[in-house]
Amino acid sequence: MRFEARGLARSVEGRTLFRELDLSVEEGRVLAVAGPSGAGKTQLLRVLAWLAPPDAGEVSLDGRGPSDWGVTTWRTRVTLVSQAVPDYPGTPRDLGDVVRRLAAQAGRDGPDPIALAEAWGLPAEAWDQRWVKLSGGERQRAALAIAVSRRPDLLLLDEPTSACDPKSTAAIEAALSGRAAVWVTHDEDQEARVAHDVLRLGR
Amino acid sequence: MSPDLVHLGPLEVVAAAALILLNGALSVWLGLGLGKKLGIASIRTVVQLLLLGYLLVPVFKWGSPWLVVGIGVLMTALATREVVGRIDRTVRGMRIASFFAMLVGCAGAALYGVLVVVQVHPWWTPQYLVPLVGMVLGNALNGLSIGLDRTLALLDEQRGRVEGLLALGATWWEASREVAAEALRLAMVPILNSMSAVGLVTIPGMMTGQILAGSPPEQAARYQIIILFLIAGAVATGSVLAVLWVVRAVFDDQHRLRSERIRRRG
Repeated sequence: MRFEARGLARSVEGRTLFRELDLSVEEGRVLAVAGPSGAGKTQLLRVLAWLAPPDAGEVSLDGRGPSDWGVTTWRTRVTLVSQAVPDYPGTPRDLGDVVRRLAAQAGRDGPDPIALAEAWGLPAEAWDQRWVKLSGGERQRAALAIAVSRRPDLLLLDEPTSACDPKSTAAIEAALSGRAAVWVTHDEDQEARVAHDVLRLGR
Repeated sequence: MSPDLVHLGPLEVVAAAALILLNGALSVWLGLGLGKKLGIASIRTVVQLLLLGYLLVPVFKWGSPWLVVGIGVLMTALATREVVGRIDRTVRGMRIASFFAMLVGCAGAALYGVLVVVQVHPWWTPQYLVPLVGMVLGNALNGLSIGLDRTLALLDEQRGRVEGLLALGATWWEASREVAAEALRLAMVPILNSMSAVGLVTIPGMMTGQILAGSPPEQAARYQIIILFLIAGAVATGSVLAVLWVVRAVFDDQHRLRSERIRRRG
């Protein structure tokens, strides 16, 4: 697995967030993305996931771009987990079922998300509670577990443990070690623990 | 035998307008600030209906298929203006798309009504087709404006959900199906409510009119049933077409939700 981005540029409402940005991630490595609020870290992940259009530049996974893979297949392989998990309808279990039935996810079943998240301190009962009843940290762990269970080649993580306690955070970091990721974090200690390479975005 | 129809002159209309004055007084007393709107709406009612009345005399007399079809298209265009005017978010091209959705839904239902159900000869007989188109359009207008308004509001407010599903590999349709379903459910509510209350609580205007004009009530009831079914068909078809179009319009061909395409008005 080799993920690459070349010459990426993105501006929002006339403000340039980044331009001529290159990055690459190899199998099993974590690229941490650091920078002040408003530097465009989230926007960068959105562009890598092909959810937001870049003004310039291209991205590729094993030499093929999103259109070559098919955009939905691209996202099953390069999967974004947002920092703020939205108010999905129903329960985490419902979301897991919906995702399993997506056309592009056919045949990609991986580990059981409930078992994954249990190791991160999320009790199995939480999967049958409505999203709106869950805390920020519980939502983060459920959403992350669903994403990981689909076996993406590259995880795009936006502050994945920002609402989790130190114990869950350590468990998540341990579970994700060895997985390729672009990992946005504000926490310099976390950066030191998980990152093989660091990309710093400025304002 | 039914009684003769009471002839109405201007005085009778003025007498009815006295009730509008009552509304006006209420607005002033409670400070509702509705005086101007009430005035404009009342004047529009009088002018539009009188014009329609006079317009229909020659249409009914010398009606040609072209004239009837032309009036239908014009009514559809006016109804589309109302639809778009009631929604506070918009997408480029929504007006023209709504027009075609209304046209397909309403013309489809109206033509099915005159050709297949009632079997009027000739099919364009204005006494049948023009009021039928009017009733169908009036209801489709409601359905479309609710459906489009909800679709855009949900896609705007629940962007996180939709993008969350896209991020996990959903197609634009997989990600927005819930939104479209919810909007269509709401679009159908008014007509379903009317169909449930009709006869128990409400006596529809057309049936009332037919009875006043001397039709046997059981004939008037059959006409009304047919009309309601045609309306339900038109609301469903028109709303589905319009909602699907607008959902598609806020996604690009890369399955990306382009919420910047949703513009707020006012």
